[in-house]
Amino acid sequence: MEERLYDLIFICRPATPEEEIAKIMKTLEHVIADHKGVIVKNENWGTKRLAYRVKKNREGIFIYLQITSTDGELVKELERRLKVAEPVIKYQTVRLDEEMKLQKKLVARRELKLSRKPRRTAPPAAAPAAPVAPPAPPAEPASAAS
Amino acid sequence: MADQQGSQAPSGSGQGGSYGSSRPHSSGPGGGGGGRSREGGPGGGSGPRKGGKRQFFRKRKVCRFCVDKVDYIDYKKADMLNAFVQDRGKILPRRMTGTCSRHQRWLCEAIKRSRNIALMSFASEL
Repeated sequence: MEERLYDLIFICRPATPEEEIAKIMKTLEHVIADHKGVIVKNENWGTKRLAYRVKKNREGIFIYLQITSTDGELVKELERRLKVAEPVIKYQTVRLDEEMKLQKKLVARRELKLSRKPRRTAPPAAAPAAPVAPPAPPAEPASAAS
Repeated sequence: MADQQGSQAPSGSGQGGSYGSSRPHSSGPGGGGGGRSREGGPGGGSGPRKGGKRQFFRKRKVCRFCVDKVDYIDYKKADMLNAFVQDRGKILPRRMTGTCSRHQRWLCEAIKRSRNIALMSFASEL
C-alpha cells in the first residue's frame, strides 16, 4: 500500500493535567511506531473554546498530529486508543494525501502555464540579444587597437 | 454574456418603472382614480421602460479562492471559514459569496470537517 497522510486531531478535557496528555501522546507514539508510521507534525494548540458543547465541556485542549503511514490498521488502532482514553472527549482523523496530490497537480499545472508564457516571448527577446552580442566583441578590439 | 445582461436589465428596470409610476398616480387622485391609473400605468410605463431609466449594475462577484489561487482549503482555519457561514452557522450559498463551484465544493467539505471537530458550530446556541 502506498503511503498515506492523515490528520489526527483530538480534544482533551480542559482540566486534564499535562502528564495525562503526555501519557496519551506516548501511547499514541508507540502505536504509530509499531505500525511503522511517522509523525510529521505534532502541535499542541492549547485550550480553545469549543464551538458547541462536547460531553458538557465548553473548552478543550486541542492536540494536532500529522501522520504518514502505509498501514491502514494504524488509524483503526489509534481511534480505538483515543476512544478508550478517559480525558479525550473528541477526535477526528482525516485522510489528506489525495487532496495533497490534487493540490500538487494544480500547482504543477499552474507553473507549467506560467513557464510556457515566457517561452513564447523569450525567443524574440533572445534573438535580438544574440545578434547584438557578436558585433560587440569586434567593436571592442577595434577601439582597443585605435 | 453582454446580451444576456442587456436583456435582463431592461425587464428589471421596466418592472421597477411601472411600479414607480403607478404608485404616485394612485396616491395622487385617491381611491377612485386607482383603476384609471392602473390602466394608464402600463401604457404610460411602456415609454419609460424602453428608455431604461433605472439600470442595475451589480458588481460581478469573483471567487475569492480563485483570485488567491487556493488549491486546498484547510479545515483547521476556522476563522477564515467563518466568513462563509451565516451567523447561525449555515453555509452561505454561492450566489451570496460568488465562490466558484469547485471551490464551493471544497469549502463545504472543509466547513463540515471543521464542524465535526468542534472548531465551527453546527448551529449557534441561543
